[in-house]
Amino acid sequence: MAEEKSATLDMGVEVAGLRLPTPLIAASGTFGYGDEYREVADYECIGAISVKGLYLEPREGCPPPRIWETPSGMLNAIGLQEVGIRRFLAEKLPAVRELGKIVIANICGSSLEEYGELAKILDQAEGVSAIEVNISCPNVAEGGIEFGCDPDMAARATEVVRRGTRLPVIPKLSPSASDMAAVARRVAEAGADAVSLINTIPAMAVDVETRRPRLANVVGGLSGPAVRPIAVRMVWEVARGSRLPVIGMGGIANAEDALEFLLVGAAAVQIGTMNFVDPGVWRRTFDGLAAYCRRHEVAALRDLTGTMRSGTAG
Amino acid sequence: MTPSTEAAGPPAPSRADLPPRADQAATLVARNQLSPDAQLLRFESEGPLRVLPGQFAMVRVGGGGLLRRPYSYCDLLDDGAFTLLVKEVGVGTRALMNLPVGGEVSSLGPLGTTFDLPPPDLTPVIVAGGVGIAPFVLFCRRLAQSGRRGIVLLGGRRRPDLYLWDAFERFGMDVRVASEDGSAGHHGLVTALLDAALADAGRPFLYSCGPTGMLLRVAELATAAGVPHQVSIERRMGCGMGCCLGCVVWARPPSGGPEEYLRSCTEGPVFDAETIAWDRDPHPL
Ligand SMILES: Cc1cc2nc3c(=O)[nH]c(=O)nc-3n(C[C@H](O)[C@H](O)[C@H](O)COP(=O)(O)OP(=O)(O)OC[C@H]3O[C@@H](n4cnc5c(N)ncnc54)[C@H](O)[C@@H]3O)c2cc1C
Ligand SMILES: Cc1cc2nc3c(=O)[nH]c(=O)nc-3n(C[C@H](O)[C@H](O)[C@H](O)COP(=O)(O)O)c2cc1C
Ligand code: FES
Repeated sequence: MAEEKSATLDMGVEVAGLRLPTPLIAASGTFGYGDEYREVADYECIGAISVKGLYLEPREGCPPPRIWETPSGMLNAIGLQEVGIRRFLAEKLPAVRELGKIVIANICGSSLEEYGELAKILDQAEGVSAIEVNISCPNVAEGGIEFGCDPDMAARATEVVRRGTRLPVIPKLSPSASDMAAVARRVAEAGADAVSLINTIPAMAVDVETRRPRLANVVGGLSGPAVRPIAVRMVWEVARGSRLPVIGMGGIANAEDALEFLLVGAAAVQIGTMNFVDPGVWRRTFDGLAAYCRRHEVAALRDLTGTMRSGTAG
Repeated sequence: MTPSTEAAGPPAPSRADLPPRADQAATLVARNQLSPDAQLLRFESEGPLRVLPGQFAMVRVGGGGLLRRPYSYCDLLDDGAFTLLVKEVGVGTRALMNLPVGGEVSSLGPLGTTFDLPPPDLTPVIVAGGVGIAPFVLFCRRLAQSGRRGIVLLGGRRRPDLYLWDAFERFGMDVRVASEDGSAGHHGLVTALLDAALADAGRPFLYSCGPTGMLLRVAELATAAGVPHQVSIERRMGCGMGCCLGCVVWARPPSGGPEEYLRSCTEGPVFDAETIAWDRDPHPL
């Protein structure tokens, strides 16, 4: 039980002004609107839920096939099929609020105005605790990754969201940016409270028999354990190169994976693809983190952030 | 033939009416090699299991790739055991087929929508091809338990592909088969048997599962004849839980409203065939 453990060991973290009871966050686009896994995942171990990306209007998404498995990973080109902000607030948010979880709204815009408009609407909504600004989706024609690759655009998107809301603002960075730490510094100046990374890495696969791409969209985003070492490196760079708190993700499957991100500087982590593989990942990771803290005589998990030592492992 | 003029069958059950879902360990207790590349696998799950016909499990097996793979529950036995009918196509199916007896998988289910029993005055006509045969074993068990009979049309390339033919006969079904090489029953496609079956049924209710070409043909005939038709669709799936949006089918939502991409793991895999936009969505896997 999360409560029992907290008597001796504090598993809570604070990031972007959010106090999370556990450092584990459900990654956007992999946990629906939040309550889909209630029968099979241990919600007690989940600190917050980042919901599927939202635009102002509903979106149909890419045609199928939309997913393909690759070695230790998967490609997806969903193209942000979603219900639109109004239906989210009216129909989806009440169900996830009943679970008593901290809800992070993940937003995407095809223009700066759209990002700003979404921020204003969410600011008025009850039950949303923070805004994750997706400036890194590889699967949409405009917006998304375009904003995330250019530090100026990333800063401008952050700025319009910042102006529209008092909620914590968390830009989600693209692994396609050539200098992610530079992007992080710019969004910090523009008012971001934290950054999250990484979104999926643009990638593709081809069926050599038919000589056709595996995905209808041709290019998709790679996620899962295959991206983890890249993601760890990026979190390390951003944590060193900017003062913003970092939420790390990319292929986390267990406590050891989560610890890598924490030690290189993440204050919290998200889990996406591996929840598909095993909804038991929440319990296992939470218990493993608690066991690690005890073994290493750490009283508060948050004290682990950024404690990677210099020199190499023996 | 006197086709039904009623639009469709009973309303699809809402999520609340479906059995509870769980991720359970299941142990392989028996294997039956049905053909060179297909097996019937019998598992015992660690806890209780309730399943409705047409539902599926997302199965994870060591060495079977990263993501779970979807399989229809083929049959549910009184002691809580279930069977899967598996045909080898890649790494996931191969790992299941090589799993030693006593080996464990984890099975997340039951997932998705169900084949509903037809209204009492209609006769079920089932059209199944390949591993699309799987969900109809449990369905016919339920039909038999409620004293119903129906016509089952099985299709495959060769005689060994007409899986579990005898099981359907044991449930008292009128089984008719077709093989592409002529080694059993009608020489050709199973859909060639459909007109006669619909006529014999009098007031038929169609159910289908199998290759896309077969489903399309059945849907065309059903629409032309005004026969209600439930179809199970197979799509690549990432999660089975409605969260990855990888499994979509372009169709009209059960609640009405315009067509959109519906999740075949959640709004399906069983759909009322007339809600599917076949012309927009005949897509390859
Ligand atoms: C609701 C549902 C019920 C199913 N029931 C059964 C069943 O009872 N028995 C059975 O043997 N198979 C069933 N399938 C198909 C089964 O899921 C696939 O054969 C399996 O996922 C392939 O995995 P693989 O690793 O062996 O092949 P992969 O290496 O992943 O792929 C090999 C080939 O199989 C195709 N494929 C991949 N995923 C699917 C899929 N979900 N459906 C169909 N083809 C796919 C690929 O396009 C590729 O051509 C069902 C699928 C669905 C969606
Ligand atoms: C199917 C799928 C859909 C996703 N949709 C979104 C999305 O809507 N918004 C977003 O910011 N990230 C989205 N992502 C990216 C994830 O949130 C996460 O950044 C990425 O998958 C890396 O983490 P993982 O390896 O743990 O999955 C999606 C990922 C997957 C696999
Ligand atoms: S398989 Fe993930 S939404 Fe259907």
